[in-house]
Amino acid sequence: MSVGSDTPLAKTPLFDEHLRLKGKMVPFAGFEMPVQYPLGALKEYQAVRDGKAGLFDISHMGQVRVKGDGALAFLQYITTNDVSKLVDGQVHYSALLNEQGTFIDDITTYRINDHEYYLCINAANRHKDIAHLNEQAANFDVTVSDESDDTVLLALQGAESQNLLQKLTDTDLDSVGYYRFTLTQINGADAIISRTGYTGEDGFEIYIPNSAATAIWQLLEESGAEPIGLAARDMLRSEMGYALYGHEINDRVTPVEARLMWITKLDKGDFIGREAVEKRKAEGPRQRLVFLKLTARGIPREHYKVVADGKEVGEVTSGMHSPLAGCGVAIAYVEPKHAAEGDLAIEIRGKPVPAERTSSPFVRSNVRN
Amino acid sequence: MSIPADLKYTKDHEWVRIEGDTATLGLTDHAQEALGDIVFVELPDVGNTIEVGDAFAVVESVKAVSDVYAPIAGEVTENNEALEETPEKVNEDPYGDGWIAKVKISGDDYSHLMDADAYSKLLEEE
Repeated sequence: MSVGSDTPLAKTPLFDEHLRLKGKMVPFAGFEMPVQYPLGALKEYQAVRDGKAGLFDISHMGQVRVKGDGALAFLQYITTNDVSKLVDGQVHYSALLNEQGTFIDDITTYRINDHEYYLCINAANRHKDIAHLNEQAANFDVTVSDESDDTVLLALQGAESQNLLQKLTDTDLDSVGYYRFTLTQINGADAIISRTGYTGEDGFEIYIPNSAATAIWQLLEESGAEPIGLAARDMLRSEMGYALYGHEINDRVTPVEARLMWITKLDKGDFIGREAVEKRKAEGPRQRLVFLKLTARGIPREHYKVVADGKEVGEVTSGMHSPLAGCGVAIAYVEPKHAAEGDLAIEIRGKPVPAERTSSPFVRSNVRN
Repeated sequence: MSIPADLKYTKDHEWVRIEGDTATLGLTDHAQEALGDIVFVELPDVGNTIEVGDAFAVVESVKAVSDVYAPIAGEVTENNEALEETPEKVNEDPYGDGWIAKVKISGDDYSHLMDADAYSKLLEEE
C-alpha cells in the first residue's frame, strides 16, 4: 500500500496516550505512530535490553479470525508452515506466498482450537492480505473476519515483562511457554496473551478490544513499563536479524532467498507457491541474505551497496549501529557466489567500509526456550 | 532551548564562534534535539578547504543521516576526534564538548550569518 500526502493517516486507539506521553508522531504504514518518546530511541532500546520492560503499541498490525470445519485445510493451503503441527494454544511464524513463490506477507498463526485460528498480519499488507484470504476462502468451508479495527495489540518486551503483566491477570503466565498463548482476561477484558515478540527478549504480545486498551496501557505504564517507539523497535528487531516485510521480505524474493525455508514445509502437502519454491530451491537462490558486521567505523543503512573488488554485488536491507555489538551491522542481499566467500564491503557515501560475514542474531537472544 | 548570545547561526541550524581568524563550528541545541540520539559523526579531514554551504561533516542519528553545512569559509585546522568515540556529546553539550571542527577563516563577510536574536525568531517561525 502506498500512502500519498493526500491520504489521511489512521490513528490507533492509543493515539491520545502517545500524545500524553509526548511521543514524536510520524507516518508509518498508513498510521500516525510514535517514533520515539522524550526518553529517546537509545535509552528506550536500553530499557528493553537491560532487564526492564518496554511497552509498544503495535495496533497498526492486522488481525484475522478464521473459523469453520475447513479452517485447517484452508490455512494449510494458503500458508507455508505446517498448521497440522500446531496444538491448541500454540502459535507459529509463517508466510503467505503467491503462485510465483514470493511473499505476500509474513504472519503468525494462532491455533485456538481445531476449527478456529487467528492470524496476525502486517499493517502495510492488510488490505492485500484480506483480499487474498477472501478470494481463497471461497473454495473452503471457512469464514474470514478482519478484526483489525476492533483490536489493540500491545507488545510488552524485556525481562521484567512477566512480573508486570502477572499483576493484571489471574492466569499463571509462567505456564505460558515460548510461542504459546492463553485466552484470558486482563483488567476484566477478554485478551489473548502470547509469549511472542520481535525483540529477542522475553516478553508478550497482548491482543485486547479497543475499549479496554487505554486502561491496560496506563496500568502497565504506571507499573514501570517504558513506552517504546518505532525507532527503538527497529533497532531491537534488526539486531536480532529478524526479517521485516518491505526490507528482507517482499514480492520479489522467495523463502529460499530470505532464509525462511524453516517456516516453509514443502512436504506438508500442496500450498500456494510450493511448486515455485521447490523449483527455486533446485535451481539455487538468485540472491542470498547475509548478516554483516562492519570492521571499521560507519553505519550501514537500507539501500547502501554491498561491494566486492569495487563491484556492486548486493544491497543492504536493514542496517544500524548495534550498541551491543559495538559496530555497524547490516542485513543484506548479495549475489549467491558472494554469500560465503571473498572480501565484502559496504559503500558508505562513496567509500567502501570493510565488512565481515557473521551469523544471525548479531547479539545474544534472551527469549525463553 | 539554548541559544548563546555570543555565537552566530545559520538557517540550517549550525553555530559558529568567531575568535580572531579562527572559527569553531557545531550544531545548535535545536538541531541536536530534532535529530535525536546521535550515534555517529563523520568529521572533516584537517587541511580540507570548505566554502559556505558545503556539506563538510555528517551526523547520524538512530534513524537518519544528516549533512552539516559549513557556516563559514576556511581551512579545517582541527576536528573534534572525541566525537568518534562519544558522538552523544553533540546531544549533551552542543555548544561545548560537542563542537565539530575549527577552521582558519578566509574572507571577512559574515553577512549571511544570524545573531542569536534573529536565530531565535527563525525557530519561533518554524
